[in-house]
Amino acid sequence: MALLSVRDLVVRFRTHDGTVNAVNGVSFDLDEGETLGLVGESGCGKSVTNLAVMRLLPSPAGRIEGGHVYFESEDLVGLDESEMRELRGKEIAMIFQDPMTSLNPVLTIEEQMVETIKAHKKVSNKEARARAVELLAMVGMASPEKRLRDFPHQFSGGMRQRVMIAMALALEPKLLIADEPTTALDVTIQAQVLELLSRLAADHGTAVILITHDLGVVAGMTRRTNVMYAGFVVESATTADLFARPSHPYTVGLLHSMPRLDAEPGELLIPIEGTPPDLRVMPAGCPFAPRCAWRVPQCWTENPTLEPITATADVQMTGPNATHRAACWNRPTAEEAAAGWPLRAGFVAAQDPSEASR
Amino acid sequence: MTAPLESQSGGGSVAAQPLQATPPMSAVAAGTSPESQPLVRVEDLKMYFPITSGVLINRHVGDVRAVDGISLAINKGETLGLVGESGCGKSTVGRTLLRLYRPTAGRIIFDGQDITTVEGSSLRAVRRRMQMIFQDPYSSLNPRMTAAGIISEPLEIHGISGGRERRERVRDLLATVGMDPDYGDRYPHEFSGGQRQRIGVARALALQPDLIVADEPISALDVSIQAQVINLLERLQGEFGLTYLFIAHDLSVVRHISDRIAVMYLGKIVELAGSRDLYERPLHPYSIALLSAVPIPDPAVEGRRRRIILTGDVPSPSNPPSGCRFHTRCWLRERLNNPERCVAEEPQLRAMATGHQVACHFAEEVDGTAEQVQVTGRPAVASGSSPSTAIGDAS
Repeated sequence: MALLSVRDLVVRFRTHDGTVNAVNGVSFDLDEGETLGLVGESGCGKSVTNLAVMRLLPSPAGRIEGGHVYFESEDLVGLDESEMRELRGKEIAMIFQDPMTSLNPVLTIEEQMVETIKAHKKVSNKEARARAVELLAMVGMASPEKRLRDFPHQFSGGMRQRVMIAMALALEPKLLIADEPTTALDVTIQAQVLELLSRLAADHGTAVILITHDLGVVAGMTRRTNVMYAGFVVESATTADLFARPSHPYTVGLLHSMPRLDAEPGELLIPIEGTPPDLRVMPAGCPFAPRCAWRVPQCWTENPTLEPITATADVQMTGPNATHRAACWNRPTAEEAAAGWPLRAGFVAAQDPSEASR
Repeated sequence: MTAPLESQSGGGSVAAQPLQATPPMSAVAAGTSPESQPLVRVEDLKMYFPITSGVLINRHVGDVRAVDGISLAINKGETLGLVGESGCGKSTVGRTLLRLYRPTAGRIIFDGQDITTVEGSSLRAVRRRMQMIFQDPYSSLNPRMTAAGIISEPLEIHGISGGRERRERVRDLLATVGMDPDYGDRYPHEFSGGQRQRIGVARALALQPDLIVADEPISALDVSIQAQVINLLERLQGEFGLTYLFIAHDLSVVRHISDRIAVMYLGKIVELAGSRDLYERPLHPYSIALLSAVPIPDPAVEGRRRRIILTGDVPSPSNPPSGCRFHTRCWLRERLNNPERCVAEEPQLRAMATGHQVACHFAEEVDGTAEQVQVTGRPAVASGSSPSTAIGDAS
């Protein structure tokens, strides 16, 4: 039984400019102790998916309009706020991108940590404080007893993120959602924080969902990866499989559009043409079709579902043998994925039928 | 200790040469081969920002030493990359170079002319030849001006062309940066981030400058759009013979676009080398740590790499550590049993036999360490596929 099981999740935002289709039927599973990467650009729905799991969508604009989120077999979508409160922090914890805005600037670290611990555990102030000291020491804070009395602004960005990690792990949650935890940090500090995060998660057997736009971070940190685009999961595989054999044109595009530190000289960057999608307009076909070099006529009319890239009856959703799946009508071959564009002689990306008729 | 990378020199015609420092020389002269004229030269540039305290009388209590004595030269038509973590002074170097600040000390020589202290009309004349591309395409465009207005503003300020001619020029510029010339009537909010950055590039090109300082030009863009802008900048450089100072924190991007790279730490250049050399054979402990921290999108490579985790944070530039500024976080110093020299004596940028310039007393010790070799995650020593650095071209 999976620890977390998201089924056909649909999230929409009602705004003055129309309805934003942020998440459009996302399903995935997560086992205990597993690390899952969620990659995609801003607006692809990776953060919204997890805010929905935590039931922290900005209300009233954002709503779960369909699907289920099963955590240890319990559907979180039906829970009321007080039941959710019990779960948050204790069972599922979250780390955000910007540690400055997620810490209260007018309270000391001690007050915030003690409050978190006491909200879920019947312990005395003294015990809670001792636990806080222990946690800060665990995340590598020098002289933790002294630093407890400091305010958030007295910490550097990397240190603040350590405090966040300490608080997130305070109640030994089963699932930790880290939303771009190192995007605001410098690379050397990013290395510190990621190393800490993966070591602690492994020590405690915590399952981690790591949300990031950086494929390099995914490659080093996760066992399994979902690639998202326009509110859909477009490719899902073990991280090793995903990088060895990217099978969705968007994944291929992402890999070719970023310079690699270890690339040969004269490396050619192949940008993904066009602009990110407008989520207010539900596409008729594949959401990536307008930017895709591999598109065929069918892509304009029918949205492909996530299917195994090699036919199999036994689809594994989790674990080291998870089935490699992609949502694409015309998957890039291994050679094409390596080259970054279609190699078939005479292949031309299919024209948008609505443009053609004009 | 022979560096394993030397074995990569193609064909083996270049004899492995021991790494040694040449006698101290003007840091400016190195890296500037006689045939390529430097467009910009900076000598011992310092830019301090005062810290004051007091209500009525502002007492000067200290300085933020954003840039603290750097020397470099940018040759015509080349791209010099400037990397470092936030607060290292890389943006200040770019801004001081453009004389947006008046430097505290040192000299800036632009195309043979000393522009360190020029003011007024002569400064304006120089500014025509150097432009800037900013990081944030949202805040760097005036929301009340149309794209055409934004792009033609430099022409207006410098009184170049007018009327129909200027309108034509704006249309040309929009086409040059890959946009529909008819988009000139639109306002910034009607464009995506990538398109806005293209408008910023068109504005920088309007005066046909020689030098463009690009300060983190892609870090605010979506991943899929970054390559579009990188490719655009590279194409424009070829078309117009532009010289770039490319400032960024992302080493993969800097390495891709730059001919040479300067690595900065706390207001100082710690290493300056060809972008290939810097990656293949970094000689400063900080460069190695920085390179090792950059994630590579390949799980197989990531599994092989050894990451150097630097402890602690960057010290404050208002009170930098004595001696070598990196000594408080240096992994090499620890290994060498904390030599006193790192604390007592500030290392100068010195030219090595490989053509590198490096500011470390113990750069020779860096060469050949497992850390240096493993920065790239290459399985041990790669085969002779990639010819290594230009060994021995130092004077």
